[in-house]
Amino acid sequence: MKSATTAPGDVTSFSLGLALPLGLAFAIFFVLPLAQLVYLSLHNDTAATVWGLGQYVKFLTDPFSLAVLGSTLLLGAEVTLTCLVLGYPIAWLYQRSGSRVQTLIIMIVLLPLLTSVVVRTFAWIVILGRQGIINSVLQSLGLIGTPLRMIYTQGGLIAALAQVQMPLMVLPLITAIGRIDPNLSDASASLGAGSWRTFVKVMLPLSMPGIIAGCTLTYAAAITAFITQSLVGGGQMLFMPMYLYQQASTLQNWPFAAAISIIFLFAVLAIVALFSTLGRRARGYGDAR
Amino acid sequence: MLLDRRRLLTSALTLGAMHAFPGLSLAQARPLVFATFTGSWEEAHKAVLVPAFRKANGDAGIVLDPMLSVDQIAKVNAAKANPPIDVMLHDPGPALVAIGQDLVEPYPTDKSTYFKDLIPEAQDAMGPAPFFQVVGLTYNPETVKTPPTSWADLWKPEFKGKVGITNLNSTLGTGWLVEIARMRGGSEANVDEGFKALEELKPNLAAVAANPGALATLFQQGQIDISPGNFNAIQILKARGVPVEFVAPKEGAIAFKTTIHIVKNSPNKELAFKLIEAALSPEVQTTLMNPPYLIVPTNTKVAMSGEIAKVLAKDTAELKKKFVFQDWKKINEQRASWIEKFNRDIKI
Repeated sequence: MKSATTAPGDVTSFSLGLALPLGLAFAIFFVLPLAQLVYLSLHNDTAATVWGLGQYVKFLTDPFSLAVLGSTLLLGAEVTLTCLVLGYPIAWLYQRSGSRVQTLIIMIVLLPLLTSVVVRTFAWIVILGRQGIINSVLQSLGLIGTPLRMIYTQGGLIAALAQVQMPLMVLPLITAIGRIDPNLSDASASLGAGSWRTFVKVMLPLSMPGIIAGCTLTYAAAITAFITQSLVGGGQMLFMPMYLYQQASTLQNWPFAAAISIIFLFAVLAIVALFSTLGRRARGYGDAR
Repeated sequence: MLLDRRRLLTSALTLGAMHAFPGLSLAQARPLVFATFTGSWEEAHKAVLVPAFRKANGDAGIVLDPMLSVDQIAKVNAAKANPPIDVMLHDPGPALVAIGQDLVEPYPTDKSTYFKDLIPEAQDAMGPAPFFQVVGLTYNPETVKTPPTSWADLWKPEFKGKVGITNLNSTLGTGWLVEIARMRGGSEANVDEGFKALEELKPNLAAVAANPGALATLFQQGQIDISPGNFNAIQILKARGVPVEFVAPKEGAIAFKTTIHIVKNSPNKELAFKLIEAALSPEVQTTLMNPPYLIVPTNTKVAMSGEIAKVLAKDTAELKKKFVFQDWKKINEQRASWIEKFNRDIKI
């Protein structure tokens, strides 16, 4: 290592210096506040004067709080799965299309990112409302008598979140599928595999890095989507971001809010770690072909 | 050195301020910062209160920094010795929190011209109330043909799946729960009856919104036809053509004081006082009472007129009769446990 750093013109010797500005910004604006958060969460009273693990004990022994955590993690899983199932064919189609259609698909995928989350979320309220598009179509077709309740329900929330977060799934998938050598599927076909078998045995494993990346991004975005969760989910569906907001803002109980954040952070880190382990295994699988 | 318009203006303002206050040190030479609320409040204050203040105080520098009450408290708390805000605006709950955390300077009532003219409920020595927010019943006149008259109407079977409420995060949601409890014999100290009533309301509930703003938009979508609602929020919707009407229920409309406070250790105490004086003055309050603002005044010298006289009260005497004030000191004591109970029990 020592000889590497002293060697003139070795690119690795510059890396630390160049990373310094961003590293410093991270230390000041991310690590420091995070440490402050941990410090705050280790107090038993709202004024943060008595040290203790009381806030963590309170959360982790309370079935209600654990249920909020559980339902938030489950919501993320449902949204991620929806995005994957709907997004994969789009990414697939992209790779099989001519350049004009490709531009169109990219436009459609990116378009939601160009509008604010609030606007996209409000659009879903209009779509899912009692007099919204879906209900009026179903009613005019005579399929339903009274309007269905769709906003402020879990199903409506999943649909809205899936649409809002879709680009985060599709873009990594497009990249990953684009890297697969098209000859591989031809080879698989010429060796007698059907299209389904080719997909499961060849394409799916090779696109695994994209799937993992897309799932990680979508998952993290879905569970922390405070605006969409509160506007489409409503005030009686409690997820971690709203729980946190309630404790911090309405009740000024910062130590408990800090403990909620830390617990939430670790829960999410555990999920992300799981994804990346899967990703490593998938890469191993890909190399072993 | 290039002098653009903005720099020129800043320099002129600074020079002006230094001329007006010779004792001003460099560290203190920042304009008065007024943390108003976002949305219609900001618009109203920018259009009416700020010009009135500047006119009366030799074009003194002032910056509006709109944010929620809780954010105001957090910001001042983070820098108590040198607060970034000079004047705070609060709902009753957060006001008590701010006072409790020693972030507020007592209002110099003996120096004030208008303090004694306020109605007694608005005369708070820790920060007077320049405005009221009023909560009553909101309904869609196209679907609700007979206007409701009482909170109890929300439980009528004809409103099955049509009622909207907010959760207890908001002042509106919490205040309404207390009022429902009162209607059934409870009080600020005991809202058990209110929770029982909520339980019975479940078949009628179409939505529990996350905040009053989200609740109001549900009228636009036809998602709800009737709900407790804020008088001002409803006027804004009405002005945009949404079919909504506001009525004060016979039990009395809930009135929340919006109080205005000088921040402790503010470097601009004198200007802060002047701004609050302007907010209490009959001139500013009269302008704000008229369309499009329709903000309920607290100064008894203001003659009620227009929509407020029609829907709420013709004068201060009627206002006191028709408005219900709540004891937020008692409410704050138990609010955390109510929110917890609401979180657990209210699922539709």
